[in-house]
Amino acid sequence: MSVTAISDILSPHEQRLLNKQQGKEDRFHEKHQRVSDILKSFDGLRPKIDVERAKYFTLSMSQTEGEPLVLRWAKAMYNIAANITVYIDEHQLLAGRVGHQGRYGILYPELDGDFLDSAIKELPKRKESPFTISDKDAFIVVEEIAPYWKGKTYHEALNAALPKNVHKLTYDDPNGLISRFIVNETSSFRSSIQWVHDYEKILKRGFNGIKAEAQAKLDALDIDSPLDSCEKRPFYEAVILVSESVILWAKRHAELARQLAETETNPQRKKELLKIADNCEHVPAEPARNFYEAVQSQWFVQMFSRLEQKTGTIISNGRMDQYFYRFYKEDKESGQLTDEKALELLECMWVGMAQFVDLYISPAGGAFNEGYAHWEAVTIGGQTPEGRDAVNELTYLFLKSKREFPLHYPDLAARIHTLSPERYLWEVAETIKDGSGFPKLINDEEVVPLYVSKGASFEEAYDYAVSGCTEARMPNRDTYTSGGAYINFAAALEMVLYNGRMKKYSGQDLGIQTGDVTKFTLWEHFWEAYKKQHRFLLRTAFIQQYLIIKLRQEHFAQPMGSSLHNLCMKYALDLHTPQIPEGINLGYFEYIGYGTVIDSLSAVKKLVFEEKKLTMQEILDALDCNFEGKEYIRALLQSAPCYGNNDLYADEIARDIDFLSVEYGKKYSVELGIHNDVRYVPFTSHVPFGKVVSATPNGRRAWTPLSDGTSASHGADVTGPTAILLSNYMTKNYGYRERAARMLNIKFTPKSLEGDEGTRKLVAFIHTFCDLKLWHVQFNVVNKETLLAAQKNPELYRGLIVRIAGYSAYFTDLSPDLQNDLIARTAHGTLN
Amino acid sequence: MSNDNSDGKRVGVVFNIQRFSVHDGPGIRTVVFLKGCSMRCRWCSNPESQNKEPEIAYNIHRCLGVRHCGRCIESCTDNAVFCDENGMILINRSYSSDIFRELVEICPTKSLILYGKTQCVDEIISIVEQDSVFYFRSGGGITLSGGEPLLQREFAVSLLRKAKQHRIDTVVETCGFISWETLREACTYMNRILFDIKTLDPVKHEEYTKTPLEPILDNFNKLKETYPELPISVRTPVVPGFNDSPEEIRRITEFVQKYKDTTHELLPYHRFGSQKYSFLGRKDEMQKYLHK
Repeated sequence: MSVTAISDILSPHEQRLLNKQQGKEDRFHEKHQRVSDILKSFDGLRPKIDVERAKYFTLSMSQTEGEPLVLRWAKAMYNIAANITVYIDEHQLLAGRVGHQGRYGILYPELDGDFLDSAIKELPKRKESPFTISDKDAFIVVEEIAPYWKGKTYHEALNAALPKNVHKLTYDDPNGLISRFIVNETSSFRSSIQWVHDYEKILKRGFNGIKAEAQAKLDALDIDSPLDSCEKRPFYEAVILVSESVILWAKRHAELARQLAETETNPQRKKELLKIADNCEHVPAEPARNFYEAVQSQWFVQMFSRLEQKTGTIISNGRMDQYFYRFYKEDKESGQLTDEKALELLECMWVGMAQFVDLYISPAGGAFNEGYAHWEAVTIGGQTPEGRDAVNELTYLFLKSKREFPLHYPDLAARIHTLSPERYLWEVAETIKDGSGFPKLINDEEVVPLYVSKGASFEEAYDYAVSGCTEARMPNRDTYTSGGAYINFAAALEMVLYNGRMKKYSGQDLGIQTGDVTKFTLWEHFWEAYKKQHRFLLRTAFIQQYLIIKLRQEHFAQPMGSSLHNLCMKYALDLHTPQIPEGINLGYFEYIGYGTVIDSLSAVKKLVFEEKKLTMQEILDALDCNFEGKEYIRALLQSAPCYGNNDLYADEIARDIDFLSVEYGKKYSVELGIHNDVRYVPFTSHVPFGKVVSATPNGRRAWTPLSDGTSASHGADVTGPTAILLSNYMTKNYGYRERAARMLNIKFTPKSLEGDEGTRKLVAFIHTFCDLKLWHVQFNVVNKETLLAAQKNPELYRGLIVRIAGYSAYFTDLSPDLQNDLIARTAHGTLN
Repeated sequence: MSNDNSDGKRVGVVFNIQRFSVHDGPGIRTVVFLKGCSMRCRWCSNPESQNKEPEIAYNIHRCLGVRHCGRCIESCTDNAVFCDENGMILINRSYSSDIFRELVEICPTKSLILYGKTQCVDEIISIVEQDSVFYFRSGGGITLSGGEPLLQREFAVSLLRKAKQHRIDTVVETCGFISWETLREACTYMNRILFDIKTLDPVKHEEYTKTPLEPILDNFNKLKETYPELPISVRTPVVPGFNDSPEEIRRITEFVQKYKDTTHELLPYHRFGSQKYSFLGRKDEMQKYLHK
């Protein structure tokens, strides 16, 4: 046995980086030669904008004005499918990218095209997730695309529709280009919240099958019915057209592959190209006949979906280990497929994903989704619709792929339930220990009963797929697509302190005038004031959401997405329709700054009203100078009970705060026609939201990040990771169904999870997470020294992947603010 | 099992309760550190564990100094604390810990630390039970550590007995230098014992730990005879310049291998404890050996 200093324990991911710095070849390189070569062709390149999608979309839309929107959309998709450049990449086995080679992003001018002029100038300079664009393409954007959309975009419509008092908390300027970061709308930087298609439908039936179904429904319409003629007919026509569009697009790839094969001199590659041509000729038009075709078919669908609309945080991949399994099993049994070949095909898809970058035009969108955020979640594990464990041999391949070829695409989500097999949990734990942040865990024991209580059948609830960062969807039952409000509740707290005002926006009455806080004589007065401000922000958010729901259907349609949804096909309604019969609308609003608010209220309650160690005036004075020269007061405030330590004093305040949201949602969601439930998932927005909040009574300095998700404030969790899980458990109102996801980040040092014994303990920790019915947890297993070194020498750590907020990203792609935020998250090791 | 009530009320001196401990026995555990030790190992990483009485410590790195705070000096009527020319706090450690107890309460940054708190068994069990959902899944439980936890014999036994009553898995980490009677009694409430053997060289042992080796090995043998079923993990801290030679380690490993159901674990030396020496106003003797 060797004697090792504690910090010498590296995660495999850290070890790989070190090897690379020392010029050693990765031990898995040879096994993943093809995809490693593809990765090399774009790794570390700054993303570039491709304007073709926007160009052909705009051209078509300008010619169809006045027609039903869903049909216009299908025509636009056809125009794109027929004209967009098609590519087949060197070494690739899959066809289908929607922009030029390298890392690229595409534009959706229908959404926020009013930003385009200025954005094209700003994007290359932006600190968070910058993009470049060629002069020629910039010209096309400014001269051809942007002018058409002036006055027509969704964002402009929303900006005009918001009542003055709501607008004031949403935007900082009359045109709505700058966010207030108080009650932030997110519906204008994506056409839909995260979504999962029912991919299996295409693998089973192909788009010709869908087309035939639409044709039959079209033929069955009542020709005398005006409703059928004006509403249903265009819908089914749109489905037929969009099906033809996808097929056309695929066949253009077949043609290209054949052309390339003709001139290809390498016989091996020639064979591959001809195979690609065969595949593209057959799928997604027809049902897939083998594993390779199934992968190609699914890839076409998800890429075409990206052309169709900007699904928030990228279209998710659903339960891949389930719908591919049939093909995998048959091909393996017939000897057509090996695990190595299956992995290679999947990894060809991963490198395809890695080149598409979700581009946010607005500055707020960029700041919310730093490090080129992406949540094309692939779901593995969980249960079958019958409620049995669903893990199979393919499940393990996904985990293996993450350990051997640790690209941060796709985002991998592992469903966990009480009877998840030990081997599965063990491999999940081993993969987490690898250190690149995968997989994130979603808990069936919370999601399934909750979704049943919200109206799903057990079969549907058991079959949910993780969607985006932390959400779960039932692809044929969910029907809600509007982006929800992100609410800065640390701002509510600030409005209590300054009688409805905030320092950042001095002189403006923003919140409720709840009175001079120094005159409060009882904790109850303070708490009542907070409740008023809290409710005020919720009211603002709910009005905003009401208008968003009304407006969105006038601006967006998704004929392909709708063609894959049972209810849309049944009722001939586009998925953007606010209410679809039999559908369940699972919406949410975000609580931003949970730990910050809890700890601040705890400090005020304890020190001012109970122990009387401080007066409110003393706190205000300290906040006013950002604690400069007031270190004693800051230290005293920080000594109050904090959330994340399994301390009932803080946790009870936290549950009361949660209850305010739950109670409000229960009462007013009905009017919105949705479940508008409280969620705690900030992505990276706790950083920009913190930038408008001055110093807070938990000792947080002005303009610094708020606490993230349901994690504790930075450095406030001193009792260890078991306590943070228990605090989460204690602060949920389990008796109510008005809750959505809670995101939880936990950072471990590699040392604390060392060896098989460490894995065993991580498995037990995951079991307990499951027992506690928490929604989500994800882990960073990294040494602080590594993060600090990467900040200092980014060029040496270009490959360092870290977990951010439901996704992983290159550490060096993050802004310094977010890098510091990650470093400040408490790492749990053992001290003795 | 006797005296349920008296067990719960029994008090002892504890200097730390550490949750999510993953290196001191099976599973995820809560380690309760009891104060007091008869050994004085040169490399000790828990110097605050050695004396039985509560001790005042001061972390200058966290202290705001008199310029920003100075509350301890203001509220202290004696001369137990005063300040140096830089406005940082100096402590007169000859005062009793009762005087410091109040000052520790006042200190907002926890720069003043009183190592050693009198706590009753019920109080500790309720803290330990907070993580019981983790023990159930991981096979973890409570670990008594120290110092030498069995030096506070009655308290330790009450704690173990109460833990067993609550169906909590129990582990004791011992240095082995205690009376056989104490060890014998405690073992009846243990699921596992972590037994330190630092060296098999009696001269060295005496020199580096200030205690003889023989009674420890006696206890070890008796333990194996009396409780052959009790799992034992022998632990050896590998200390540079003391026992880190391959021969030395091999001797211990061979010694352990003679016994059935006994595992051997090597603990790497770490220097996390070194700053605690300065908190306590003591010198970390190990430093000079390390720099040789």
